[in-house]
Amino acid sequence: MASIELKNVSYIYGENTPFEKKALDNINVRFESGRISGLIGHTGSGKSTLVQLLNGLLKPCSGSILIDGRDIWEFPKKIRDIRFRVGLVFQYPEYQLFEESVYKDIAFGPVNMGLDKDEIDRRVRDAIVFCGLSDDLLKKSPFELSGGQKRRVAIAGIIAMEPEVLILDEPAAGLDPMGREEILGGVWSYQRRNNSTVILVSHSMEDMARYSDNIVVMSDSRIYMTGACSEIFKHADKLVSVGLDVPQITRLIHILIKRGIDIRDDIFTIEAAKDEIMKLIRQKQKGGFPEC
Amino acid sequence: MLKDITLGQFFPGDSILHKLDPRTKIILTLLYITSIFLATSVSGYIYIMLYTGLLVFISRIPIKIIVKGLRPLIVIIAFTAIINILWTKGEVLMVDFYFINIYLEGIMYALLMIIRITSLLAGTSVILTYTTSPIALTDGLERLLAPLKSIHLPVHEFAMMMTIALRFIPTLIEETDKIMNAQKARGADFSTGSLTKRAKALIPILIPLFISAFRRADELSTAMECRCYRGGDNRTRMTVLRMRPADFITIALLAMSCIITILLNINFPIYKI
Repeated sequence: MASIELKNVSYIYGENTPFEKKALDNINVRFESGRISGLIGHTGSGKSTLVQLLNGLLKPCSGSILIDGRDIWEFPKKIRDIRFRVGLVFQYPEYQLFEESVYKDIAFGPVNMGLDKDEIDRRVRDAIVFCGLSDDLLKKSPFELSGGQKRRVAIAGIIAMEPEVLILDEPAAGLDPMGREEILGGVWSYQRRNNSTVILVSHSMEDMARYSDNIVVMSDSRIYMTGACSEIFKHADKLVSVGLDVPQITRLIHILIKRGIDIRDDIFTIEAAKDEIMKLIRQKQKGGFPEC
Repeated sequence: MLKDITLGQFFPGDSILHKLDPRTKIILTLLYITSIFLATSVSGYIYIMLYTGLLVFISRIPIKIIVKGLRPLIVIIAFTAIINILWTKGEVLMVDFYFINIYLEGIMYALLMIIRITSLLAGTSVILTYTTSPIALTDGLERLLAPLKSIHLPVHEFAMMMTIALRFIPTLIEETDKIMNAQKARGADFSTGSLTKRAKALIPILIPLFISAFRRADELSTAMECRCYRGGDNRTRMTVLRMRPADFITIALLAMSCIITILLNINFPIYKI
């Protein structure tokens, strides 16, 4: 599986016009292979530009993007092959559906890759299972489905290309908690099964804490911080200063620490917090302080 | 990319022309076009060039932009000029080369045609399209055409449709851009292959685009109904158009200008065509 790296990448919209706007400023970052990397940043920090650079939809104004050490713009005419290797799911991907059946829509990417019929069939069926949809949906029109189902079909359309790197831009935006869970859980199990490289863009710190291995924080067209979740969420004040936050449970833990309770400071999921707090309570009960 | 297309050429500014009432500017455009077609003498043409120059100057639109706006029409202008040079018969023969006969009158006529077309374009765009926002323009049209309501023409509805269409052009361009990128990410290819292949490649863009346009239209109509929109009857406006003294003065000036062109034709027919 592939790692993807940006070296001294800058991107300017409308270069040499009065409307020039710098979107990325000398970015150096590496997304490790076989990991889920979270990408967070306030609105307009350059996240969307960055993900479009990764699969060659935009060409960097300077610097280079390397997949396993090779520049993706080495052969500009073969940029389509890069797009098959780096799958990008846009925000609200359900608006890109167009075919008459779910099957055909999911097959659009594989057909463009020029695969043979049996291989396409296998990939479509695999992809639909990954996305937790049943086989009998395949014959339906994508426009008959519910919002959450449409979203999953659109994601399946990318997964069917079996990309080495899968990028999802806010895959759970606008869904109810159930839908979020299904989509992100699906991505998580897909990644664990294939050991592929996944980049997840999200605004939800809770989702980040739950599903990503490391986090890249962007602010004002630059990389602000990178590191494992536990590293990043320790710096609550730094995150707040760039318009972000830590998961609510982490905030609670920080308040507990401030009140003098002896608890680990690298907790950012509710499950971990529950375990830790229960442990403390049990200790205290043993020690004879049944406060709770 | 698609974003580079400029639709409607409005160029925001603060000049006298920008501040005029849109109705005035529509009338001015008509007057201006009339005076251009009235000019038939060289002195008349010189006069028109001068006051087109003056209009460009007071609009404070950079010359570069006006020239850029004329660029797509170079072919038409060149074509007209060549036709005129080759096919006008006159008295003074300049070139006699086998079947090609070029007369001085032909060259003269071609030159005047070039002046006519360029000043027509530069002038109308400076008076109207560069200095009036599309929304103000539809507003002005609605008010000017208001008398037609008495013969049951739905003037307000037409103006509203035009306003909405203009409002959604940038949105649709943005949407097209997004859909194109999403399909490109799935390996769609819009720029290679035969014509039929390229036409087919548009389907993955057009279908989602139409669907979202219909969805938007539906949402917009609901939103308008929620705010009690029910057509033009007794509807008041947020910005009421008001003709000020400056408007009447400019109209009078341009009307006078029309008369001057006629007078120049009669009194100084230096070169009558």
